[in-house]
Amino acid sequence: MKAALIGAGQIARQHLACLKTLPGVELAAICDLSPATAEAAAERYGIPAWFTDHRAMLEKARPDVVHVTTPPTSHFRLAMDSLDAGAHVIVEKPATATFEELEALARRARETGRHLVEDYNYIFNRAPQEILRRIESGQFGAVTHVEVMICLDILGPGGFADPNSPHPALKLAGGAIADFLPHLASLAHLFVGPRRSAKTVWTKRKVSPLPSDEFRGLIDAERGTAAIGFSSSAQPDAFWLRVYGERMQATANLFETRLTFDGPRNVPKPLRPFFSGLEEGKAIRRAALATLLRKFKGPGAYEGLWELLAQTYQALASGSALPVTVNDVLEVNRMVEALKPTEQLP
Amino acid sequence: MRALVTGANGFLGRHVVGALLARGIEVRAMVRPATRLDALGWPSSVEVFRADLRTSRDLPRAFDGVDVLIHLAAVVSGGEDAQFSGTVAGTERLLDAMASGTCRRLVLCSSFSVYDYSATSRILDEGSPLQQAPDVYSRGGYTVAKWWQERVTRRCAETHGWDLTVLRPGFIWGRDHGYLAALGQQLGRHHVVIGPLTRIPMTHVENCADVFALAAVDPRARGQTLNVVDGPGEQIWSYLSDYMRGSGEPGWRLPIPYWLASTVVRLAFVTVFRQATKVPAILTPHKFDAMLKPLRFENRRLRETLGWTPPLDYKQCLARTYGPVSPAEAVPWRSETAA
Repeated sequence: MKAALIGAGQIARQHLACLKTLPGVELAAICDLSPATAEAAAERYGIPAWFTDHRAMLEKARPDVVHVTTPPTSHFRLAMDSLDAGAHVIVEKPATATFEELEALARRARETGRHLVEDYNYIFNRAPQEILRRIESGQFGAVTHVEVMICLDILGPGGFADPNSPHPALKLAGGAIADFLPHLASLAHLFVGPRRSAKTVWTKRKVSPLPSDEFRGLIDAERGTAAIGFSSSAQPDAFWLRVYGERMQATANLFETRLTFDGPRNVPKPLRPFFSGLEEGKAIRRAALATLLRKFKGPGAYEGLWELLAQTYQALASGSALPVTVNDVLEVNRMVEALKPTEQLP
Repeated sequence: MRALVTGANGFLGRHVVGALLARGIEVRAMVRPATRLDALGWPSSVEVFRADLRTSRDLPRAFDGVDVLIHLAAVVSGGEDAQFSGTVAGTERLLDAMASGTCRRLVLCSSFSVYDYSATSRILDEGSPLQQAPDVYSRGGYTVAKWWQERVTRRCAETHGWDLTVLRPGFIWGRDHGYLAALGQQLGRHHVVIGPLTRIPMTHVENCADVFALAAVDPRARGQTLNVVDGPGEQIWSYLSDYMRGSGEPGWRLPIPYWLASTVVRLAFVTVFRQATKVPAILTPHKFDAMLKPLRFENRRLRETLGWTPPLDYKQCLARTYGPVSPAEAVPWRSETAA
């Protein structure tokens, strides 16, 4: 299976590092507008060819799979050209700037018989997958509600709020936070399904080039409800996932490896909080060590991306169902669409 | 003569602007759009050009009437990719703009970090081996970016037949930049000093700026690659005591012989960290060597090529770094010593 990348920036590094480890995957070519960036990535990851023009790359390298890892507003054109060249497309989130563009891509993917995958890496992290396993085994009970909250300081001078060079994500409706909506929506969708309706609050607490720096959303979905949010001011950085079932509850921080469960216990009711606390403490101590050790090796918080890519390539090779289907992508993005601000704040 | 200076408001840049003015060279100072200029105290003769090398579209205009480019701009904070795109892709865009104009002369600020310290023994000078791919990619974002910046610049200069001077400064120090990575490991106010008698390849910012201004005007600099250090450098132990006295931050110093620390790092690397893909800088032998290997540093080629001697001696540099702000320092382009 021949893989190629368009865009050799920060997230491309995770794709490349993972692809190097996958059996049966040949990294065939990489493309970036900056020749040095493309050449450096090729040299570093042992890729035989590099390009600055993606059409030339598609024509010469003839990849089976193209990873689109450029800034979001360029995804549509690059993904469309890749589908037209007969390749499957794995596109970084957010897949497109508008839902109409996504529908056009999905249509073209169906016409050409190719797959379109958007990178929902966090749903493939160990914690959500473990929660999912307990739900499927029946011990969790039906999910009634899910909470997803990202606390991340994105107002520092070098990133989204760079006063010298406008970040490409600021062109999206919702600005920098729109870059995180697919994470929030894909997790909500995983546990409670497609949305029926949604209410949102977009606000701004601090002076910055960002149109808004706080977001909350409340979603009524087919199998339950979801409360999701993004805060640029709440510290420390964390990615909280809380899933409420009819028998159990789960709490995870996806920036770390922390995952705790609370459920029925075979002890007298007054002693339940005591034993729950002991067990939760033990799980958190174990997670603290695991979080420390993963600093030295492997993908860290990007473990889900590696898992998603491994499963995707395996499915492509065997012709089985993909871990993220084009229908998943459309449903998640219908949710994202309902969360976007209707008007930009002043 | 007019010089375009990128990174002009940076630590080195603001002194280079001063040194150029002192030599009677007109300066066009490139700074990022959101830069505040009031604290720099530049005279009105300095023409300010606001642009960001990563995104600005009107870079060719910056070269109008320019005789020499002094390229200092680099992104030295943030992740590896932010440093690469800011420093290397930024340089590509800048040199593309230069190629569309008439300027044929450039002076690049490179770095000691392009050398392969592990493969160098005793003396590090311009003839020492450089880092090679793919080893260079284990040296961290700063080295990768500076190594590629030099590579891109050399290729471009060769393609267009430009006169290139590459200056590779050692550790640049000066006011508010007294602490150097070569000093070892800081633990709160205390210091673990690895190889206390090792000499630091250092250049005071005003001396270093003087070399850049000289290289811009002196035809003997064309086609040269020159290391910039003021001399053999101070020993870590004695500079650290000057630093602690000067900055008024007392603490303990724990000396550890270089051979002992080096053995421990190498042992840890081949046992514990062999399988690890992400290891702290000081525990990676390549990076450990680049920070701390005891070598002698030469500026013979700089002295012989340009006849340069540092305008400020070590005592004067200490006073400029840790003493009260002198009137000459406040307006460097009127300074006699830094000229």
